[in-house]
Amino acid sequence: MQPLTTGRRGAAPVLLVVFLLAAAAGIMALKVATDHIPRAKVPGSSIIYLPSGKYLKYATFGYSSLAADLIYLWSIQYYSNYEIADRFAYLERIFSIISELDPRYTDPYEVGALIAVAEAQDPELALKILDMGLAKNPEQWVFPFEAGHIAQMTLKDFERAQQYYEKCLTIPGAPAFVSRLRANAMYKRGDLQTAWETWLEIYDSAADEEVRKVASNHLYQVKAAIDIGDLTDAVKAFEARFRRLPTTLDDLTRTGIRGALPKDLDGQDYVYDPATGAVKAPTIPWKR
Amino acid sequence: MKVGAIALNTFKEAKRDRILYLLFFFAAGAIIFSRILAVLTVGDRLKIVKDVGLAAISIFGILMAILMGTGLVYKEIDKKTIYTLLAKPIHRAQFLFGKFLGLALTLFIMTGCMSLIFLGIVFAHSLRFEGRLLIAVLFIFLELLLITAVATLFSSFSTPILSSIFTLSFALIGHLSWGLETLIKKLPSPAARTAARVLYAILPDLENFNFKTEVVYGLPIPPAIYLHATLYGLLYTAFILGLAILVFRRRDFI
Amino acid sequence: MPDAIRITDLRKSFKLGFIPRRKEILKGITFTVAEGEIFGYLGPNGAGKTTTIKAVLGLIFPDAGSVEIFGRSHLSPQAREELGFLPENPYFYDYLTADEFLAFYADLFGLARNVRDSRIASLLKLVGLTPAARLQLRKFSRGMLQRVGLAQALINDPRVVILDEPLGGMDPLGRKEIRDIIVRFKEEGKTVLFTSHILQDIELICDRVAMIVDGRIVSQGKLLDLVSERVLFTEVTLAGVQPEAFAGLGEFLSAQGGRVLIRVFSEADVERLLRLADEHGGRVVSLIPRTETLEDIFVEKVKRT
Repeated sequence: MQPLTTGRRGAAPVLLVVFLLAAAAGIMALKVATDHIPRAKVPGSSIIYLPSGKYLKYATFGYSSLAADLIYLWSIQYYSNYEIADRFAYLERIFSIISELDPRYTDPYEVGALIAVAEAQDPELALKILDMGLAKNPEQWVFPFEAGHIAQMTLKDFERAQQYYEKCLTIPGAPAFVSRLRANAMYKRGDLQTAWETWLEIYDSAADEEVRKVASNHLYQVKAAIDIGDLTDAVKAFEARFRRLPTTLDDLTRTGIRGALPKDLDGQDYVYDPATGAVKAPTIPWKR
Repeated sequence: MKVGAIALNTFKEAKRDRILYLLFFFAAGAIIFSRILAVLTVGDRLKIVKDVGLAAISIFGILMAILMGTGLVYKEIDKKTIYTLLAKPIHRAQFLFGKFLGLALTLFIMTGCMSLIFLGIVFAHSLRFEGRLLIAVLFIFLELLLITAVATLFSSFSTPILSSIFTLSFALIGHLSWGLETLIKKLPSPAARTAARVLYAILPDLENFNFKTEVVYGLPIPPAIYLHATLYGLLYTAFILGLAILVFRRRDFI
Repeated sequence: MPDAIRITDLRKSFKLGFIPRRKEILKGITFTVAEGEIFGYLGPNGAGKTTTIKAVLGLIFPDAGSVEIFGRSHLSPQAREELGFLPENPYFYDYLTADEFLAFYADLFGLARNVRDSRIASLLKLVGLTPAARLQLRKFSRGMLQRVGLAQALINDPRVVILDEPLGGMDPLGRKEIRDIIVRFKEEGKTVLFTSHILQDIELICDRVAMIVDGRIVSQGKLLDLVSERVLFTEVTLAGVQPEAFAGLGEFLSAQGGRVLIRVFSEADVERLLRLADEHGGRVVSLIPRTETLEDIFVEKVKRT
């Protein structure tokens, strides 16, 4: 037999390399095929099991902050997956877990509330989450701010909105416009007197022309509301007495139902429609 | 059979390793402790027992595979027992395969014992023998085989500490495959997406062997996946062993 | 009849160090070992003895050159069947008993059960370990380990036995036992290649030798041919004489306890010295001619490179 020169390597390694390539191809094909087999999933299955709050913190061995991050990240992907039908079933649970693990992590509160309102159609849950956030992070004005926003826009509960804005204003660092939101909520609520006073205060303490203008518009709007309310009452009183609507607002003064007619903030008269008896402001406040 | 002789010898050596028994002790402890843990939960207590049990078998099994597998070939090289072995008319591939089989046998027995304890605890809790749990355990074992192969691969050219780190990384990457899947959807450029898709197909997907959720919740398992997962596991293991042989066959033992 | 081992122009270099630098270990080794002889392979530490051995056994793959065992490539399975090997400072699975240890290696050769058992018994007898058959290897002494290692090398009844420093670290009695075993191998018709740097052992039992220094063979051939019979000098010990009387005849080494030791360099001077001693009434205690030893050759070769 001829001696072995070290150059010749033999058939074995070639076979081996071929096998390896074939195996790699096989693995990739199998992976793709296996991915297509649907497997039953339990919504939030990985999370359901976690013991709540206190125990979880111990279970994470000092890495509770990291655990909070990971769960939060997972929850974002989870809630972005619209195929999971009842994914909101554990929304509160998940976000309270994150809160327990890392109460100072502010993003989850905001995002959790957002998911609750926008996706799960559960604004009360959103407020609950934001309340939780504020309780653990009293210096974060953004929580009552957003809560006020949700209360006002989605729930149309202006009293609660006002309370949230007031809360927000007590926290140092809250932006100035929150006071305007509060005043607006008061207005929407119907507390016109306080709304007037609040807007007046804002007007007087306005830092720049922009804010003064806005305050002035709102003052106009509030005064208009008060005056229109007043005038509408007077119109009704006229109707009650004379069984017909007055032709002009001057009728009200002539008949003594009202003294001098109120004018709008710019000194203009209110507009009256004798056909319907409706009183309107002559100008749209924002177009002044 | 030469491979058999080496496998048996490896098994004899493995079962003398104290780490094996230490890990087994912890696993058994965890399984038994789950019974106590179940008291803390509200609702279905049996689920805690099942989950902790399966997790213990899985985690400690992986630790056993890594800690023993990475020393497997390295010890022979370090202690030079490999010289007399490889001077015999035995292919290096037979040597590697024998070491792998020996460790696989050890893990099989260890997993079997842990499962017995596990099933015993479940039985004590529910007075029922849950055969389905064995399916989850079987696939855990398949995953352990793959990890053992990876540990053998690294052990044939690297020190135990580095091998352990690499093998552990392999195990972790294998379970985070879904993360890559999510990432693929978010990548901006199509070139990056294709590259990521190739990576996704090559990297191990150890979740294919994870039937814990289905088994614990009593959900149905599509029969097609048994075959796929088994083939995937065996093929990947063969691939890794093939790589190990390729690395090992022309290695100089200075 | 093909040579037992034929090594032709073997070359090997390694890349060592963190920034790999090429170090040439074997620089073209050529020698042959004939069947049935005891061949000594010697050289200083680091010369490349063990590297050569490992290349022959397929533990290392040479860069160039060839190795043939009875005419076949050294990597072929038939060649491996003919080889037995004992490494330097062997370490074995210490939890096995001697019996189990040999049985494991026997299984690697696929020996049938009855063949295996009888061979293990006879091998243990050959190396003198029969009483320790059931003892765990971890309880073996150094000499016993060496001997069970020899038994392992013979488990397949090989035609060629390769031993790397088989006599290292043993006491003189142990060394004699191993030497005797090696000679017994030869009597059974086996070929033995062993490395050593204990030259006396090589001189005592080898038929042929090769000397490797710094990766090259500097000398090879029959021991008798290499070591000439030429007398280098004669050391004479005399009693009852004064050393001054013999000045000029040789190198005066010592005078103690009434004995004078002189080194004489020529035959003629020896005769003159003996006559002088007789004349002075002295007595010759001993007369030892010193021929060239392997050590002399060795030291000279090493000094030259």
